[in-house]
Parts: sequence; C-alpha cells; structure tokens
Amino acid sequence: MFGAIEKPLPRPSEDSAPFWEAALRGELRMQRCGGCGHVRFPPSLLCPRCLSEAAEWVALSGRGTVYSWVVVHQSQHPAFNPDAPYNVVIIQLDEGPRLHGNLVGTPNQEIHIGMPVEVVFDKVSDDTALVRWKRA
Amino acid sequence: MSSVSGRYAIVGVGTSRFGKLQGVSTMGFTLEASKRAIEDAGIGRDAIDGVLVMMPAIMGEQHGWAARVAGYLGLEPTFSATMDLGGATACGSVQTAMAAIDAGYCTAVLCCFATQNWPQGVAMQLFGSEFQVPYGDVGALTLMGHIKRRQMHEHGYTEAQYGQIAVTWRAHARDNPEAQMQKPMTLEQYLASRWVVEPLRLFDCCPNTDGGGACIVTSLERARDLKQKPARILGAGQTHATEIIHPNGRDPERLSGSRAADQVYAMAGVQPADVDCAQLYDAFTPRVMHDLVAYGFCAPGEAGAFVEAGQVTHGGSLPCNTAGGLISEGHLSGFGHIREAVRQVRGTAAARQVPDCELCLVTGYGGAPHEAPPTVSYSALLLGRD
Repeated sequence: MFGAIEKPLPRPSEDSAPFWEAALRGELRMQRCGGCGHVRFPPSLLCPRCLSEAAEWVALSGRGTVYSWVVVHQSQHPAFNPDAPYNVVIIQLDEGPRLHGNLVGTPNQEIHIGMPVEVVFDKVSDDTALVRWKRA
Repeated sequence: MSSVSGRYAIVGVGTSRFGKLQGVSTMGFTLEASKRAIEDAGIGRDAIDGVLVMMPAIMGEQHGWAARVAGYLGLEPTFSATMDLGGATACGSVQTAMAAIDAGYCTAVLCCFATQNWPQGVAMQLFGSEFQVPYGDVGALTLMGHIKRRQMHEHGYTEAQYGQIAVTWRAHARDNPEAQMQKPMTLEQYLASRWVVEPLRLFDCCPNTDGGGACIVTSLERARDLKQKPARILGAGQTHATEIIHPNGRDPERLSGSRAADQVYAMAGVQPADVDCAQLYDAFTPRVMHDLVAYGFCAPGEAGAFVEAGQVTHGGSLPCNTAGGLISEGHLSGFGHIREAVRQVRGTAAARQVPDCELCLVTGYGGAPHEAPPTVSYSALLLGRD
C-alpha cells in the first residue's frame, strides 16, 4: 500500500535559508535594506524599492493583524485534504510586509479582518519550523 | 502608439472541441482550433508567416512549442514566440502580433493556445511558493477567495451581487449552444452552492476546460480582401502588476490593471462610455467586480450595485460576457472572449447579438498570483466594427 501523502515543506534557497533558520530558532526575521531601510519580503538579492544589495536580517516583533482570511473547503493538494476545512490567513505585519500562514487556536468563524495576532513557530520536522499565528 | 490603432484586424477565430475531454493531446487541441481559425478567415495557409503560442499549462511539452505548432501545421513562419502571460496571453498575443507585423517581421500571425488539465496533480505541484504551499495555500482559489473577502470588506459587496454575475452569465450561455454549462441557474441555487474556498462559492468559479482557441491577425488592407468582415484592433494595453496580497502592499487608490485600461482607451481614442459590450476575464466572479472598476465602467466600490441593477445583462448599459464567459461557456483562457468579441463586431452573434455593436472590450488576466510576491498580468483589446 501507499503511505500517506506528505505535506510539501519549504526547500530553502540561498535567499530564503536565513528566514527558515531563524524560524527553527523561534525567531521571525526578515531582511532590512542597507540602502533605504525597507523591510524586504520575500527574501531577495536586492531591494525592490532601491535595488541595493545590502541587507541585514533583523528580528521582527512577530505582531500584526489579519489582512484577509479564507477557509479552504476543497483542498488543491491531497496532503491537505484531511485538514479541510482549514484557514489560510494573510497577516499585515507591524513592520510593513504581509505574510501568508495559518491561524491556530481560534475557531474559523471567529477570525475577522483587523484581528490582532502574534507569531508562533510550529516545528514540523527536525529541520523545519513553519510560521503560524495565534490571536494576540 | 496611436499609429497602429485600426490598422490591423482579427480576421479569423476558432476553437477546438472543448469541455471535459481528457485524453486529447494539447497539440491536438491547438491544431484543431488553429485549423478552424484559418478556415474562418478564408486565408491561404501559405500566407501565415507568424505564429504565437501560449505556453501549455502542463509543463514538459514546452520546449520550442511555437515552432512545433508551426511544424505540425506545415508552416514555415518568419516570426514566432511561445508566450507566457497566463490568462492574459490571448489579448497580449494579439498585441504582439500587431507589433511584429508593424515591424515588418511577418504579415499574418496565428495566435493560439490549448490546455489539457490532466494530470492535474502535476500542474498543481508547480503552483505556489515556499511561503504559501506549506500552509495549504495552493493554486488560484485561495487568492480569489482573498480578493472576494477584501472586496466585500472594503466595498460592502453582497453575496447576491456576486451571484447575479454567475446567474447572468448562465442565462447568456443558454443562447450559446457550445457553452459547457447550460442548466438554468437561479440566485437561490447560487446562494446554496457549496464553499470552495470560503467566501468563494462553487458558482463563483469557472469549470476546468480541456480545449484550445485561436485567432489570426493581419493588416486591415489584407483583411478587407478576406472572407469575413474584419474586426479592427483599435486599442491594446497591458500591465504587469502586483496583486492585493503583495507583501509590500500597494497603493489602494490605483487598481491593478488600470494602466492597461489607460493604454487601451488612449490608443483607441475612446472612453469607457463608448464601449457597447465587454468580455471580461472571469475565471472567478471577483475578477468581474475588479475589471468593471479598473476599466472605468463604475466608480470604485460601485461595481456591486452596477451588477445588481442589471447593467451587465442584454438590455443593460454594458452587456458583458455575452457567450457565458469563462464561468459558463468554459475556460478557453481568454480565446473564447476574443471569439465572442469578433462575432459581436461582425454582427454574427446570433441570439446573443448586442444591437448595433460597434465597440467591444476584451480583457485578460493571469500569471503567477500564487508566487511570492504574487504578480499578475493584465491585458486588454478594443475591437471595432469595420
């Protein structure tokens, strides 16, 4: 028999590895541009605002609000079928960027736009922690 | 830019069989649609010296795709390209065809596409970034759910208003014998349809469609010697932009796609009020709400009331998606919209004909909305009666 289909996990690139390494340590980090100070996401070789290649990986507050949310009833990947219905949220981070994820610990029907949230780290394998969110 | 306005025309349109037709090859559909467009135009095959093909949805067949299509059709073009603007490719390829003819690279261009949705699982693996897929955020449905959520939040659009779009298109499809979705639909049935990605309902979404479409572009001068009344290309425009969920946000005062709208109207020298009917890219109903505003038919926030008042139906101020749209005719990646627009300005749309239709807008939308950052391409054409 076939085993359960595994959920796809991030396979970090040179650009994104610091994000995932930080998550595994329980930190939310993004690049802050060394040219203009813009907090850069997704990770990139250069800044979309000023094209500077200089950046440092800074720790963020891990706080934000729900910008949008949906509930997936019909999964588009078989590994997620058993979870349906599950939420996918877009979080407006206090530092500017928006980040996708899941909101945990709150029933889907209580999620609303503008709801304050804070980051949680969900260690799903020895070398990967996913960034999820809980009601603040 | 205005120099090419009206100097080129779409002279032939065609589609392959379409619907749930798994087992037909992508190439097979492409050739079938192309042959019908050539026949519709009544143009000699030897006269076609340009070929533009949309990248097939299923990867693995893409190498040299345009040249292969040409080879299968027995053509030896002097210009070809495989294009990749997703659902914006249909309108975008017509714009590229005009530019290529204007540059003297070729004189008559076949634009074509096909898709075969099987094996769907393979395609789905290709969608999405490492910042989305691990959260179960896969494919276009979640993006469209978010767009609907934000539209409802910002503008107060109601479920019934989205439902009115789906119900109207279904009614239009009833006058189109080729449409995939023929069963009558009521607003109550829409409101009772299941969630796919809440707040997106089943009937907010188009069906998967296997099939292909094609059209032929040449100079107006040559078009007038061919079989059909030419559909003059008065305007064309594109924008490649971020979507609402862009991680860096975007200026909420300026809707994605509005630069394509500015271009298409400026090139044609017309206003939105001059447009007699529109074929809006509607893989999902929230797209229609977006385009009605981006293309200047409604003030921001007023698309819901516009739809509710019946303005997008036959007899309304802007009949839209007169063949049933992607939602009810089928997802021919925008080539169905071009075919219908050409028929409208030719005056050959039969029971669906918009009386005295001189000007029809066609829009396209597609790209990489599930990547990080989510980006999409917008494209548009204004076709006019000769």
